[in-house]
Amino acid sequence: MKLDLMKRHLKKDVNSWWIISLVGAVVILLPILFIFLTIFLEPNENWIHIRQYLLKNYVKNTLLLVGLTGLFTAFLGVSLAWLIAAYDFPLRKFFRYGLLLPLSIPTFIAAYTYRTMLGYTGIIQSTLRNQYDYQIDAQILSISGIRGAVFIFTMFLFPYVYMITRSFLENQSTSYIENARLLGQKPFAIFFKIVLPLARPAIVGGTVLVIFEVLGDYGVTSLLGIHTISTAIFQTWFGMYDVNSAMRLAAWLMVIIVGVFFLEKLLRQRRRYHINNKSRPLVPIKLKGIKGFGAFIYCGVVFLISFLIPFIQLIAWAKMTFNKVWESSFNTLIYQTVSLALIATLIILIFSIIVAKVCSSHSSFSFAISKIITSGYSIPGPIIAIGVLAIFISLDQYLAPFYKWMGLGEAPLILSLSLVMLVVGYFIRFMATGFNAIEVGFEKIGTKYTEASRMLGLGVTKTFFKVELPLLKGALFSGFVLTFVEICKELPLALLLRPFNFETLATKTYQYAHDEQIHEASISSLLIIAISILSVVIIQVLGKRVRS
Amino acid sequence: MKFPKLFKPFVASAALAIGLAGCGATNQNSSTEEAASAPPKVENQEVNIYTARHYDADDLVYKKFTEETGIKVNVVKGEAEELIERLKREGESTQADLFITVDGGVLANAKQNDIFQPVTSKMIDENVPENLRDADHNWIGMATRARIIAYSKERVSPEELSTYEDLTNEKWKGRLLVRSSTSLYNQSLLASFIELNGEEQAEQWAQGIVNNFARQPDGGDRDQAKAIAAGTGDIAIMNTYYVGLLANSEDSEEVKVAEKIGVFFPNQETNGTHVNISGIGLTKHSKNKENATKLIEYLTSVEAQEFLSANNFEFPVNPNAKKPELLESWGEFKMQELNFDTLGEHNKKSIEIFNKTGWK
Repeated sequence: MKLDLMKRHLKKDVNSWWIISLVGAVVILLPILFIFLTIFLEPNENWIHIRQYLLKNYVKNTLLLVGLTGLFTAFLGVSLAWLIAAYDFPLRKFFRYGLLLPLSIPTFIAAYTYRTMLGYTGIIQSTLRNQYDYQIDAQILSISGIRGAVFIFTMFLFPYVYMITRSFLENQSTSYIENARLLGQKPFAIFFKIVLPLARPAIVGGTVLVIFEVLGDYGVTSLLGIHTISTAIFQTWFGMYDVNSAMRLAAWLMVIIVGVFFLEKLLRQRRRYHINNKSRPLVPIKLKGIKGFGAFIYCGVVFLISFLIPFIQLIAWAKMTFNKVWESSFNTLIYQTVSLALIATLIILIFSIIVAKVCSSHSSFSFAISKIITSGYSIPGPIIAIGVLAIFISLDQYLAPFYKWMGLGEAPLILSLSLVMLVVGYFIRFMATGFNAIEVGFEKIGTKYTEASRMLGLGVTKTFFKVELPLLKGALFSGFVLTFVEICKELPLALLLRPFNFETLATKTYQYAHDEQIHEASISSLLIIAISILSVVIIQVLGKRVRS
Repeated sequence: MKFPKLFKPFVASAALAIGLAGCGATNQNSSTEEAASAPPKVENQEVNIYTARHYDADDLVYKKFTEETGIKVNVVKGEAEELIERLKREGESTQADLFITVDGGVLANAKQNDIFQPVTSKMIDENVPENLRDADHNWIGMATRARIIAYSKERVSPEELSTYEDLTNEKWKGRLLVRSSTSLYNQSLLASFIELNGEEQAEQWAQGIVNNFARQPDGGDRDQAKAIAAGTGDIAIMNTYYVGLLANSEDSEEVKVAEKIGVFFPNQETNGTHVNISGIGLTKHSKNKENATKLIEYLTSVEAQEFLSANNFEFPVNPNAKKPELLESWGEFKMQELNFDTLGEHNKKSIEIFNKTGWK
């Protein structure tokens, strides 16, 4: 009886989309499983040492970092999104896009830039010293430790929350907000009674992206000297050469991640706010006098700190080292970075659409798939890398007879020396970025059109291309930009999985920064930023043309 | 450009990879014997390097080598431990011929992991003194840097300095700077004390250093020098190589920092100053052994050594190579005489001691 029911469900659900999703989930699950399997091994003496002296501290730091960053990014992101969506003030149009720019600066680049800038030889202290003969206490300006890390993460990751929330407010909440305004509600009341509850899924979604970014971070925390679970994984793996204990720590990280998931579910719940589908953009109200000026200052200060100041500093350093560092090889670097990111992003987007489509059916299977597909984002890059590497090497061994038959030699490493491996690494790590954007897109569309189309006799695939895809355009654009920029900035996977003679701008930057050649790192940093900005601009321009 | 070629296997096998990844898992432990006894590839004049040294000077030296010999040099850069892990997993199928890294402990660890094979070359033996080579010919030194005590020329006179051990003295309380214990340089330094003075004293030393901290460890070696200049502390444990880089920085503020600090080689009356070594090893399954050996010979030659030292401010391993002026100005010094293998052996213990004593 039960079996029959299951069969019937399967028959209803299974189609080619479903199968492709399953394959994607398997690819992502493999390295994760690989990590989990090592947990069942007997813990060794290193682990006992780690538990005794370090674990409590790691967990405490990680939670503190995640909690504070989450809080501040949510505050900054939502307040800016609300200002820009609902009000008009000087330079609003500029800030609307300008506030996305911090995303183009990888957090580790932001951290080393600020650290050096505020340091003893940095512009502030040296100016005070040389011009005014004043030596400020270096500790006051220091951005080391948790304080500094929260600052960097907040200033350079808040656009995730800002972007998602703003787009939600602009397109989805018009009638609620306008009605509230008509009924005479005060701005603060509208914000707390309407905007916050309404935008909750968007706010939570954006904040969770930020939290995952922080959980998986190695660059900033190691630079600023904070021991988190993620840096401990590196330290255990590389310092103690103990992969198993490192994996065990990764499992602890997973515990936190699962906690975040539950929290997200709790905060987001399955609410549907897309009853009103005639989405008209919200018309901003003009802020006059001091209020308008205040809004301008708020956005301006955030923009200065989170983009303009570090950007100008990097340009100054680039000028200083240009002759020494610049080579024609940078053309190759740009080309390699961009084409790799393009290919990986396209693959991720295609899969995201398929999986999001399958998941819009809200079955327990699709729920599981969506969780698996996005889990890679929360696993630190190096752990994914080792998982992918191990699987590809055994895959190459498995395929050896096939290679031989093709005349490629006895036991060559074909796959694991090609870019395929790196692309798979990106696929695992960044599915969440593409998927979340597109899932929000599907949520926005709702099920009405799809149901109508299906009822009128179109199949799943046809419905998708004729009805859903055109409605998804906006989500696709933002998913593309987010993923593309992420990959251009990505570090640990590229460091570990790239083939011979293949460098990306991020690996080049890291190598300089790691060797404390901060000034030399500026040119490749600027190139990453330029690529990210360009891609945002191109997409925005294209997006406008599509819409009009 | 190399790119289109790199993408070929991608296009050809993307579908295959995704389709078969599922099967790959069940085959996780498929025996490596299958892959065994691969015949050497047809000799194309190239040599492949996995390196943890990311210096532009290194790339320039490889370029010179290619110009002189016509042998192409391919490089993968990464962190030493990641590359060792990769070499281990790639096993017989690896394309890497040489593994290059900084730090004697890591070299010893690579040796323990059995990723090297011995290299024998008369020329290498002539280029590099015996104490800077592995006893079993597993790796060869490429450059060294000394872990010295940098001091404020204004507030400290060199007469007050003597040994690493003395840094735990009460008189340095609140005046001592050093980077975090996650740095390999510190791990190897402590490992050397475990070997020379025993575990107990090494732990006491680490505790004494922690007690004398001017601040919690923060930043890299350059930052310690800057903290001396800023007056946060008076003395710092750091590498000579960074002093050289500061003194030759494009940033005039950094040059000023270098002018404010003096270099002191500790333990000259006792067991010598601790030295960190960069080394090259031939991988166990190298397919281009001859070219790889040629490259090691070149890298240790007077010409390459002088170039590296002049650009990177490390000490040359080849005694015939001339040092740049700055390094010359520090004078000769007595080196800690240790078998580098012991650094690797004690690495774990030293990390444990750091954790126990709260050296962040």
